[in-house]
Amino acid sequence: MSTTMGPAGRMPASGPTRDRRVADMLSRRRKWFDRVVQALCIAATVIGLVLLASILFTLLWRGVGALGLHVFTRSTLPPGSHGGLLNAIVGSLVQTLAGTAIGTPIGLMVGTYLSEYARNSVLGNAVRFVSDVLLSAPSILIGLFVYTILVEPFGGFSGIAGCVALAIIVVPIVVRTTEDMLRLIPTELREAAVAVGAPKWRVIVLICYRAALDGIATGILLAVARVAGETAPLLFTSLGNLNWSLSLTQPMSSLPVTIYQYAGSAFDDWVDLAWAGALLITFGVLALNIVARVMLRPRS
Amino acid sequence: MKLVSTALAITLAAFTVGAQAQQITGAGATFPAPVYAKWGEAAKAAIGIELNYQAIGSGGGQNQIINRTVDFGASDAPVDGAKLEQNHLLQFPTVMGAVVPIVNLPGVEANKLKLPSELLADIYLGKITKWNDPRLVEANRDVKLPNVAIAPVYRADGSGTTFVFTSYLSAVSPDWKAQVGAATSVKWAAGNGAKGNDGVAATVKQVRGAIGYVEYAYAKQNKLATTQLRNKAGQFVSPTLAAFTAAADAGDWHNAPNFAVNLIDTAGTEAWPIVSATFILLPKNPVDPERSANVMKFFDFAFKNGDEIATSLDYIALPAGVKDAVRASWHADIRGPGLAAIWK
Repeated sequence: MSTTMGPAGRMPASGPTRDRRVADMLSRRRKWFDRVVQALCIAATVIGLVLLASILFTLLWRGVGALGLHVFTRSTLPPGSHGGLLNAIVGSLVQTLAGTAIGTPIGLMVGTYLSEYARNSVLGNAVRFVSDVLLSAPSILIGLFVYTILVEPFGGFSGIAGCVALAIIVVPIVVRTTEDMLRLIPTELREAAVAVGAPKWRVIVLICYRAALDGIATGILLAVARVAGETAPLLFTSLGNLNWSLSLTQPMSSLPVTIYQYAGSAFDDWVDLAWAGALLITFGVLALNIVARVMLRPRS
Repeated sequence: MKLVSTALAITLAAFTVGAQAQQITGAGATFPAPVYAKWGEAAKAAIGIELNYQAIGSGGGQNQIINRTVDFGASDAPVDGAKLEQNHLLQFPTVMGAVVPIVNLPGVEANKLKLPSELLADIYLGKITKWNDPRLVEANRDVKLPNVAIAPVYRADGSGTTFVFTSYLSAVSPDWKAQVGAATSVKWAAGNGAKGNDGVAATVKQVRGAIGYVEYAYAKQNKLATTQLRNKAGQFVSPTLAAFTAAADAGDWHNAPNFAVNLIDTAGTEAWPIVSATFILLPKNPVDPERSANVMKFFDFAFKNGDEIATSLDYIALPAGVKDAVRASWHADIRGPGLAAIWK
């Protein structure tokens, strides 16, 4: 381009024509390049969607066929005895709920500390960093950690160990969302509350929490969705249980572990139950995600 | 917050009630999991002992019983004497199983193909690569073998099945023993890996010309074509329960330390050459003698009433003499407080 703008305008007369030609060429090239990139992006999207759709389709195809009332009314049984998944479903619910119940208050308070008390402090930054590392830690490591502190010393696998492992996964997720949501609240709001004489704790509880409620609740739901499908931390902690058991001091069954063990079995009824369980978890988690999204949507 | 604490209170209240009396927990080998589950179902109804057996793999089973986090461990490969001694463990067998070759050769029916043992080893060594190889044709005059490449399939994950299969190949082929050897995972000379018995079965089903090895139950349940093998006596045998039992009967149980009997390529004329036992590991000095007693009660029940169940799931029951020897070892070796025998 700069060649046409030569010193003292001593360029050939064909200057403007050449300019247009160059511009056309560049524009064609740009458009062509744009189209290629667009096509690549669409192709990538299609690949992603096809993968997702085929996973969901296979899951529906195999899972719905295997679903029946017996899945919800009977516990796991040996091959050929028409067992269900009752103990696994209940075990999963118990451990997910208890894990969330243990992890959420801790996560909430850490998130509050980071947002309200330690925005730029060294300790706050350190806590934030550790929490982020924990967020991306492989869940099997968390299982092994709980194994060494709660399973080995007490001489047995237990439901409570499973709950604690899940709680440790819940904490950093809730920390992150709580802190992010509280940070979104304008400082003016806090200042206004302080101006009318509210102490800091009242500002946090009555103003900040109330304003950030949707976001915080969404974070908790996402944490539930994340731990509901976890297999690795449960393998080393709650182990699994073939029988109906609600005792938190005994090994406890769970859907992901049952799927893990049944999916590779030689027996068709076990494999079918694995599909049914996978369908239940997937759609449970999907439903939670949808609820979370609806909650996050600004109210009209 | 209120909601959370209420939920916590309700759950805690619900779970302190549901304590159980007679539960025993075991973990380990995947291979016997179906039969243990079935025995557990029968024992629960008959003697009120609830078995919780979790198939976490043989290695996991050994580690968990060494750490004493379960009442018993289970392993497909026998644990060596020194390790048992060091960790105060008693080892005994429960059932046996067979490993069978499976093939996908259109036009060749199940149990028609004869695989002399050295040829099976050469296939997995990559020395025989076509199904119409002269040596295979020579051994199978009555079968029309197609000109199809052989695709060997092996277990990509560490597995007791691989240990048994490679033990067999090591026993029958000096080349195999020298180049590859026997282990739960080995350096394969040819072929492709698949995860789990189910993975091998699925791959063989899909690939024309494939050959693999699986636990017999997987071949039977998936209706895969098995083959004949030549045993030590020089007979070609098909994988049948009778052939497996013949192998078990031919085993030298009485001279095997810790019941670690070798059932590979036994001498019986009707014997299937790839058979192995699966084992239970029990602490000799249990922390909780009552639970330990329940484990022995459970397996005693299974020995008395479980043979039919085992057979129906394609396992091979132990010979009666071996069961008695196992009971005697419980009495001799497992000691409660004051070194009193727990099993009377």
